[in-house]
Amino acid sequence: MSANDGGTFDAGARPDFWPDFWPGFSPGDWYAIAADHDVIPGHIYRTTLGGHDLAVWRTRDGTVQIWRDRCPHRGVRLSLGEVAGDELRCQYHAWRFARGGACTYIPAQPAMKVPGTIHAEVWPAAEAGGLIWSGIDPQGAPPALPAGTVVRALPVARPAAVVAEALAETDWPGLALVVQPADAQSAIVRGVATDGDCLAADRLLRALRRRIEQNGPEQNGGERGA
Amino acid sequence: MILYDAHHLAPCYAVRLLAGLLGVPLTLAPMDVYPGHDDQTDAFLDLAPAGRLPVLIDGDRVLGDWQEILAHLALGHGPAWFPADKPALIGWLGLARDLGGSAGLARMIDTFGAAGDAAAARAEADRLLDHAERHLWFAERAGGQWLLPRPTPTIADVGCFVFIAPCEDGGLSLRDRPALRRWCDRVRFLPGFVAMSGVFPPMANTPR
Repeated sequence: MSANDGGTFDAGARPDFWPDFWPGFSPGDWYAIAADHDVIPGHIYRTTLGGHDLAVWRTRDGTVQIWRDRCPHRGVRLSLGEVAGDELRCQYHAWRFARGGACTYIPAQPAMKVPGTIHAEVWPAAEAGGLIWSGIDPQGAPPALPAGTVVRALPVARPAAVVAEALAETDWPGLALVVQPADAQSAIVRGVATDGDCLAADRLLRALRRRIEQNGPEQNGGERGA
Repeated sequence: MILYDAHHLAPCYAVRLLAGLLGVPLTLAPMDVYPGHDDQTDAFLDLAPAGRLPVLIDGDRVLGDWQEILAHLALGHGPAWFPADKPALIGWLGLARDLGGSAGLARMIDTFGAAGDAAAARAEADRLLDHAERHLWFAERAGGQWLLPRPTPTIADVGCFVFIAPCEDGGLSLRDRPALRRWCDRVRFLPGFVAMSGVFPPMANTPR
């Protein structure tokens, strides 16, 4: 993870666990980390925001849960587990966690009342404009995007600031786009197509990705998907 | 039917998986590929001159190609899995074979010490996984669940799954491929699913 650029944030107020920030990743901002349709019932969606791996799922009433993708027991990715009703079960020892992150049941200690200190790390969550938003300490409401259809997210193997700069160089008629800073080396472009033409948007975004990845640093260690 | 089988080889897993999904019992003949090289003995090469696993024995028939075996099992026990009138089936089975030479090869290099260029294998696999991810995302938006626009899965889903589900063992990532992760879940939750090392089965006692 890159060092904090220090531009907008008072380092003196930072608690010990406060994460690093860099251009394009600020503590007070909301970031779109998924589309509504990414988080289907019974499924645990996985992404990374600011270098932090996240597991995202829904309780039966559809409420989005965004947790750190790490079981507090042995550190296994919670996104390897399963949704069981209103709980998430870790794949490793089947510890169960409920809405709000509290551990509710430890199979190896069935008679034990689980201490309240055992819980998943819960992140802020909001749903707006067909997207799911999170952040470190996001202020106010998520950005309001125009009405439209959520386009396919495009991961780009370049830092968020580089991707945002490339986006700003071009007009994107009919598209409202935002950048998810995934980790220090990669970002994900998300957004909506006001005309609903996701195929056209996908062509434009894939061409943008080819342009961005042609330039700048050589392919780095960042993960990149479709 | 007898299946000459090595547990960790994805093409062998594809046959075991489809047999499980079809409810077809197989008699497994486990082969010690490494370090035993059971697949290079005179006896095995007499049976299967190409020296490739898996091999299926069904009565007098000896089938030595994993996709041929998938088609054979489907034709005999579940024709809906082999929609021969859909050209896309050939396309996706071809992609599955290409995944074997890229994502599958990277996994064999990283986890079993096979020879090969892992970086080149991953670069090719990334292109193929991107293609499958994009295809499945648009299929989902159109109400689809599987690689072919049909209400039920085909042998192409099985053939691709066995390379995609364990691809992170080969240094690839499904993190930014959400449609592939959802599709993997759909395969895992099919009745009769069987697992392999590196591929989690559905957890027991989970309400679904």
